[in-house]
Amino acid sequence: MTVYETDLPGVGKKFEVELDGERRLVVVIHNTGRREVFVRPEPDADAEKLFDLSDRLARQVGTILEGAYFQPIRTDSIETVLSDDALIEWVNVGPESPFVGGTLAETRLREEIGVSVVAIQRGEETITNPGPDTEIGTDDTLVVLGSRDACRRLHDLAAGDRTLDDDPDDPDAT
Amino acid sequence: MATLLLELGAAFAAIALAGSLARALGQSVIPFYILAGLVVNPFVLGTLGLPAIEDREVITVLAELGIVFLLFFLGLEFSFEQLLASGDRMTRVGLLDIVVNFPVGVGLGLALGWTPIEAVVLGGIVYISSSAVITKSLIDLGWIANAESEPVLGTLVFEDLAIAVYLALLAALLGGTADLGAALVDVAVVAGFFLALVLAVAVGGGWFERMLAIRSNELFVLRAVALAVLIAGAALAIGASEAVAAFFVGMGFSSTDHVHRLETLLVPLRDVFAAVFFFWIGLRTDPRLVVGVAVPLALAVVLTAPAKFVSGYYGGRLYDLDDRRSVRVACSLVTRGEFSLIIAALAATQGTGPVLTETVPAFAVGYVLVMSVLGTTLMDSAGTVERLLEPVLPG
Repeated sequence: MTVYETDLPGVGKKFEVELDGERRLVVVIHNTGRREVFVRPEPDADAEKLFDLSDRLARQVGTILEGAYFQPIRTDSIETVLSDDALIEWVNVGPESPFVGGTLAETRLREEIGVSVVAIQRGEETITNPGPDTEIGTDDTLVVLGSRDACRRLHDLAAGDRTLDDDPDDPDAT
Repeated sequence: MATLLLELGAAFAAIALAGSLARALGQSVIPFYILAGLVVNPFVLGTLGLPAIEDREVITVLAELGIVFLLFFLGLEFSFEQLLASGDRMTRVGLLDIVVNFPVGVGLGLALGWTPIEAVVLGGIVYISSSAVITKSLIDLGWIANAESEPVLGTLVFEDLAIAVYLALLAALLGGTADLGAALVDVAVVAGFFLALVLAVAVGGGWFERMLAIRSNELFVLRAVALAVLIAGAALAIGASEAVAAFFVGMGFSSTDHVHRLETLLVPLRDVFAAVFFFWIGLRTDPRLVVGVAVPLALAVVLTAPAKFVSGYYGGRLYDLDDRRSVRVACSLVTRGEFSLIIAALAATQGTGPVLTETVPAFAVGYVLVMSVLGTTLMDSAGTVERLLEPVLPG
């Protein structure tokens, strides 16, 4: 997949993404934050405008496309948004995760990631208010409270896609 | 009128009304702001015995702020890295544009029997396309996502840089006095001022950065406005171009992390003052003078619209565009607007002789009115234009 990036002086930036074969998705990001999304059916055709998003809405749609809103284990209750940047999420612990076998205190989730574990779901059982010595096992579901970014990082860790030492700001780390 | 505030309110009401009308008609707002000023000025409403809005100092100052903010934003958008990165093609398309269009205006001025300086002023007015109107039309028509937007925006960036240099030179030329010694001192002072400013921009990145590193939006806006207006005012006070000074201040901020915040918070200010600037242009124009320059005006339209069209078309070809898109580039660049008026305002305030103080301003108003409406209409009907021209297009 190739993404073409073009500067639009005075306007913003244009990104063209190759879709299947001939078609291209064109995204114009204005300096004002507005996003315009077009599709070009074939190379020589004019771009047809699909929709127009505000900065805020675009970020929300982006998270949906990225998959951060979608929970593989609890599709019915994806997340509970408490405020703009705080939410309750359900995070499944995969077999590759560095958490497996450690206690809640050892994971240092609150200090390192910034999320609080409010409950652990294990099979049919739900451990509410787990203590620091509660052990985490494969296939546990952690019910956590934290910022959107923190929850996202936790997802990667829990799935085993990333270790605790990785720089969270480095996009290549995943 | 009774009080200044009431008069100012009436002016803003006229501007707002004109803007709404332009929107309803699907036209660009700039010609309508100018027309609003033209209609309510003493030469029109006044002669009908109705209360007219005078060209008072307070409106002039607001209009000056309009120039300062327009150029400040130009500088803010501008970066040498971008110019260098866009490289060859942008330079070639920009050179093609200036080589074709600038001499047409100078030649026309000389043919009208104007002095070389007056002809150079005319050259600038007919050369420079309107970034504001054209960019907005590109977005409205959805062409911004297409290949034709690149040569158009590339040409505009080149023109914007050219106009900053041109305004600096023109201000120095117009300020020239009969006494050679005094003139040299003037030029040296102005050159020194701009040199200092360029140095400040080149080495003062960190200073610009810290200057705006403040959480409060209120203080942020105040500091940015203070710096831009103070330096522009200082430039004007020593006889340099306030527009160019504002451009450099904008450039100073362009490499900092504050660009986005500046854009968000200052765009409304720019829009308000720029609207007053166009209104003020209309306000100080006697329509009879515009009628008086009908002949040069008609000649300029007939010569410069096709010249811009041709340079625009081949500009599109330089970007390897097909006929249809090259015609769109050609149609896009025909619109003239804010910079033509800024050049005319400079000529009117710093120049001497009836051509610079009367003919050129009236000409610029008429020219911008015609070219902005013509350009917007051409863009809207680019498909028709292409079909009409099909037999003669080389590609």
